[in-house]
Amino acid sequence: MIRIEDLTFTYPGASKPSLKHVRLHVEKGDFLAVIGNNGCGKSTLCKTLNGLIPHFITGDMEGRVLIDGLDTAEQDVGDLARKVGYVYQDFENQIVRPTVLDDASFACLNYAMDEYKERGKRALSMCGLREKENDFIWQLSGGQKHLLALSGALALEPEVLILDEPIAQLDPFHARQTYEILKKLNQEYGKTIIVIEHHTEYIAQYCKNAVLMRDGEILWKLPAREALRQVEDLEESNIFPPQVTSAAWILKKKGILSQNVQLPTTVDEGREVFSPCRFWPSVRRNQEEKQKGETMVDLENIRAGYRAVKGENRPIFDGFSLKIRKGEKVALMGTNGAGKSTMMKLMIGLMKPEEGTVFLQGKNTRKMSPEEMSRLISMVYQNPEEMFIKDSIQADIAYAMKVRQIPDWEKRTEELLELFDLTAIKERDGRLLSGGQMRRASLAIGIALNPGILLLDEPTANLDIATRHEIMKTLKRLKGITDTVVIATHDMQLVCQWADRILVLKEGKLIADGTRDEIFTDSNTAELGIRPPEIYAMGRALSEKAGCYTIEEFVDCFQEKERNEMHYAGEAV
Amino acid sequence: MRCIMLEKLSENIFDKVSIDFLRNQVLKNAYGNNDTVIAALDPRILLLWYLFFGLVPWFMDNVILLLGMFLLVAVTARLAKIAPLVLFLFCLGVFTQTGYLLLVSLFFGGNGETVVSLLIMTLKVAVVSLASVTVFSGLDPDRLANGLEWFGCPERFSFSISFGYRMLPILMEEFQNILLSYRLRGNAPARDTLAGKVKWLVYQVKVIMSAFYPLMLNTAKRSRTTVEALELKGYRYASRNMAVKRIRLASLRLKKADIWFVGLSAVWTAVCLGLSQWVGSGVLQI
Repeated sequence: MIRIEDLTFTYPGASKPSLKHVRLHVEKGDFLAVIGNNGCGKSTLCKTLNGLIPHFITGDMEGRVLIDGLDTAEQDVGDLARKVGYVYQDFENQIVRPTVLDDASFACLNYAMDEYKERGKRALSMCGLREKENDFIWQLSGGQKHLLALSGALALEPEVLILDEPIAQLDPFHARQTYEILKKLNQEYGKTIIVIEHHTEYIAQYCKNAVLMRDGEILWKLPAREALRQVEDLEESNIFPPQVTSAAWILKKKGILSQNVQLPTTVDEGREVFSPCRFWPSVRRNQEEKQKGETMVDLENIRAGYRAVKGENRPIFDGFSLKIRKGEKVALMGTNGAGKSTMMKLMIGLMKPEEGTVFLQGKNTRKMSPEEMSRLISMVYQNPEEMFIKDSIQADIAYAMKVRQIPDWEKRTEELLELFDLTAIKERDGRLLSGGQMRRASLAIGIALNPGILLLDEPTANLDIATRHEIMKTLKRLKGITDTVVIATHDMQLVCQWADRILVLKEGKLIADGTRDEIFTDSNTAELGIRPPEIYAMGRALSEKAGCYTIEEFVDCFQEKERNEMHYAGEAV
Repeated sequence: MRCIMLEKLSENIFDKVSIDFLRNQVLKNAYGNNDTVIAALDPRILLLWYLFFGLVPWFMDNVILLLGMFLLVAVTARLAKIAPLVLFLFCLGVFTQTGYLLLVSLFFGGNGETVVSLLIMTLKVAVVSLASVTVFSGLDPDRLANGLEWFGCPERFSFSISFGYRMLPILMEEFQNILLSYRLRGNAPARDTLAGKVKWLVYQVKVIMSAFYPLMLNTAKRSRTTVEALELKGYRYASRNMAVKRIRLASLRLKKADIWFVGLSAVWTAVCLGLSQWVGSGVLQI
């Protein structure tokens, strides 16, 4: 279906080529994952397939790309668009019309197809959006917008679909839904699907083949499960293999699993591989009961909502109450639109409740000025771009301290730049940084005033997994500066590694509140797709008593038959 | 007690005039009323109707005729379910144009002639504005764009209208968030004294102006994807292909309701015209 022959591409003005002698064959009906670290040329590669390169983005291109036997250099973008559909990572900007059916059929209309509406409708049905066809774009949730972008591409009935990080912004429930739809398109409609993906669990479950790219070159193309066993290659590219695979790899290195065992990639495969290991309850798990501190945030009987475009205003919260105490690390979970962001806005005073009161450290927020509040509480937006109001990140970090004439603000800015590893890039505009740098800069801005409470809205969304680990490390550095942290997130691994209290929201109601053990055994939360990470399921599959939420815990708990206490003591830190 | 009431009231007003409120009103105005009688009409008919009620009143100076037209457009505006903000702007507009003069002359006992001529002027402005409001707020932007295109407006222009409405909510939300960044991190002057209040106002205006800079840059960043997506969706081809225009405009169809609408408007205007003639001649005879 796709044949790339010795392709080299250099963006205009770039000193190095983004793609170097790329050779790749993709067969019809394949479900291919393209993996690699940020900036390795994945998106560039995909843009050569739909003809945007070289027709729209000019540059220095050598070699050939053949789609279905046709050279992309000789076709125009319009003809190629009917063969190759593309869904962007920032898919929201891909939607150009105000209503759903309009957008889905827009491309067909532009190519003068008489049955453009029917085609749009067909595409919407394939993506399960048919009953939304008359809705306006802003009425859709993030997951639905993504499906709409997909429908827009599907309406032209292309043979090949390319999706750039399809689930980066989706909650686990919608992420699974998206992949199920892709699977259906692949199996029932015979589409060839190419995804750029960091989530190796999904690759293991859904993809047939995988390609690893590094520095503009293709290292290998292997069957998906085989590919995920190349733990060293993946880690060198900052890709994290499925947790099950990593755990087996560590145990293999320690000599606990035999050297010729094949690494598992899914829980089912793991059952057999880990069978020689026995479960030992870990001593480390008995964490000391934390002293409950004073109440930092107190929401009392809140009623709040948004103004509706049509009809009655819909309250998101009605009679909602919540207390957060000093020193708590709270993870706020729930599907897109469950009220997580609204809750944060209420806490920080950006939104006023219609009824009820918000207290910060015992003070009514209605009686506080924004300046007073900003010393107690701070928030880092989901979209870091909206926090950059100056033309360099140094000025951004300094801004709040400077206008408040905090003594030594210059020194403190330097310290923050140092702490978040930003000194080398302090002169640059925040918008032009990479995803991880942007995130770190926004965190530095958020804690500049030493707030007692920090709210983070989706701090790991849109980041590759290496950057996510980096952010988690940064969160640990906050200790001592900011004790009480609330994070709204879909990232189960972050929740398990970091949080000591988990709140689950559904349609403005708190349906669960507790530790990870309490949350993951609750059947209500499982319905929302809030499931423990794979490693937990692996542990459970091996032993009923096991409750391991991280790879480290798993490796500690599953050792060889006779436990070596000395060995263990050395590893436990 | 009273103090609390006042506080609540001022808080309420402050809450209302937020960007969030504006955004909501814009959306409401554009899309919140697509199920009204007016929205169901053929946009071409409405545009022609507007051509009449937007132009003719300027050349009329008969109070009765103008009053009749005013009643008609008031009814159509009511049917279009206009957003309150637009209605408020309309009243404010009419008042600042001529309405205040009318009130002043009434108050200071101006003679009948001034009052009548001012009333005529006010009615003219009111009829024309209400007619505009009916058409431009009663129709959703897409249908409006289609209607304009049928009359030969360039396709790019009509696309920009609907694309603008697609982007506006996003831009306004982003603008709001940037403003909030300033509010959270900035240090607004205290507004206890009068001088403080002035300073506070100046500060707010400054913040609003400087918030445009990040907004522009963010927009530039996101438009890259949009431009590529438009290319992939064949937007450039469509503007060269006449068949596309035909397909797009095929959805415009005259219905019974359109004929009724035009008919009723014409009959009513004719009745008013007749009435004004009749009253006019009667007055002359006496």
